[in-house]
Amino acid sequence: MKFFLTTILVTVFFGGIFAQQKTVTSVKKMVVIPAGMYEPFFITKANKPLRVASFKMDETAVTNAEFLEFTKQNPKWRRSKVNRLFADSNYLRHWQSDTVIGIAHKNIYNSPVVNVSWFAAQAYCKWKGKRLPTVAEWEFAGNGKPLNSKYKSLTDFILEWYRKPNPPVLPNIKSTYKNQYNLFDMHGLVWEWTFNFNSFISKGDSRGSTADEQKAFCAAGSLDVKDRTDYAGFLRFSYRGSLKGNYCIANLGFRCAKDLK
Amino acid sequence: MAVIAMGMLFAACKNAPDNNASKTLEAIQGEEVAVLTDAPNVPPPITRTHATKVVVNLDVIEKVMKIGDSTDYSFWTFGGKVPGKFIRVREGDLVHFTLHNMPDSKVSHNIDLHAVSGPGGGAEVTNVAPGQSATFEFRALNPGLYVYHCATGPVGMHIANGMYGLILVEPKAGLEKVDKEYYIMQGDFYTKGKFDAGGLQDFDEEKAIAETPDYVLFNGKVRSSTGANAFPAKVGDKVRLFAGNGGPNLVSSFHVIGEIFDKVYMEAGTEVNHNVQTTLIPAGGASIVEMKMDVPGVYNIVDHSIFRAFNKGALAQIKVTGDKKPEIFNKLK
Ligand SMILES: [Cu+2]
Repeated sequence: MKFFLTTILVTVFFGGIFAQQKTVTSVKKMVVIPAGMYEPFFITKANKPLRVASFKMDETAVTNAEFLEFTKQNPKWRRSKVNRLFADSNYLRHWQSDTVIGIAHKNIYNSPVVNVSWFAAQAYCKWKGKRLPTVAEWEFAGNGKPLNSKYKSLTDFILEWYRKPNPPVLPNIKSTYKNQYNLFDMHGLVWEWTFNFNSFISKGDSRGSTADEQKAFCAAGSLDVKDRTDYAGFLRFSYRGSLKGNYCIANLGFRCAKDLK
Repeated sequence: MAVIAMGMLFAACKNAPDNNASKTLEAIQGEEVAVLTDAPNVPPPITRTHATKVVVNLDVIEKVMKIGDSTDYSFWTFGGKVPGKFIRVREGDLVHFTLHNMPDSKVSHNIDLHAVSGPGGGAEVTNVAPGQSATFEFRALNPGLYVYHCATGPVGMHIANGMYGLILVEPKAGLEKVDKEYYIMQGDFYTKGKFDAGGLQDFDEEKAIAETPDYVLFNGKVRSSTGANAFPAKVGDKVRLFAGNGGPNLVSSFHVIGEIFDKVYMEAGTEVNHNVQTTLIPAGGASIVEMKMDVPGVYNIVDHSIFRAFNKGALAQIKVTGDKKPEIFNKLK
């Protein structure tokens, strides 16, 4: 509890500084995720348990302040200039303008950036010399045990978040919980893009691959899922399955990953 | 699959050759926007004598509402209420259907309309992320009353959260005129706390899998349709109920205490049965029942699996006003 309070105070304090300076100088902290096995929630012949190699991941989601720097230095990713094929009309709609988050939104400088497309997220990560995490990496990391959480199960915590409407002002990063890998807010703040978010829908070039999607989303197919009571995992897969690369959504952000050298 | 089975049923027992899907389709004339209503209201009967393009715009809205007088639940809805909006089209109509998932939604949703002849009943082409829309068209080939529901995984959870409603495909000749039409839909609900526990209650997946609901409700709330909210009718009225069952689990033994259904469109198909006391409504199915209200008073609509009515909320009412009819029902002494 004390840990929570401290982080909230700290983030609010720094949020204020960002609001004044509107620049980010610090380097994003990354943590090392150890190698392990990822058990896909939905198992098919093409979608088997995978060994995830050790990799690095941003400890939090990318913030509005951080993304602001990106748009300042990369004009083609500004709201008024972006190619609609790469970001729909909701792109950064919560900002005041191309390069101003806005005084009315000063509490969100240190909140995850949302309303960003997959293409924009990928471009940001590339700009930082990073990439988006794969579904396997993200899910493996996201399954890390929560520290300092009042919930007896991670699923209960996630489901409680899923059933709440989006808050009017998105809370800052590090406002939920930290997990065993020292990652913050893997659940409970925003949904996050993954590199291959729709891979199990459009994998390969045969039309038959859509059968996987059909099976996963329709009643009959749910017999194939690993754990039918993992409703949180099921909801995440359905959510990813409904996405297209240019979608910009009010509860969807991202964090970057990187291979170990 | 349900759609195919339904189609075969129609083909097998059909009297009117009009229903044959393989016949040339009726020409579409004009376009109109569908009137959508919340339960217990039903859009007005269709008087058109031709097929048209009907535009249906349905919003998916996730919102906290009362499940009991002092208990809240996070419902997922088609149009903001449970059950979802009632849709009324005519046999032969081309339905231009847009599903919009509100930007504030947390999860993705879709829609499977049992009235659709096509893959997934529309579910595969309507999987929509928050803030997004999807549009498809279908021909309403088979007349009848059909359930629609969300089929996004986990399907059971989406249905248990209230994602179902009814679409009526009115036969070309229309339905017989009645005095009152009402929309009523049963559903079972699973909460961490017990019935009427108070506060905001979460969905309980273990109870849902065990099929042990805390609530069995008509129109999404305990006492949604009783007392001041009872369905009004007058003595002598013919009342038609468009009755559906969203499930996700339970089958309804649908009964009106003190009345006999003069007509039941069995399983909401074209065959009519007469003089029925209790009719089964499967989960994911519907029925159309009609009764003439001969005697004034309050009539309880129940699931006659009776503990559900008295302990889990499966109770609605029709209030009939007018002169007493001692020649039909009379209290002596
Ligand atoms: Cu849904």
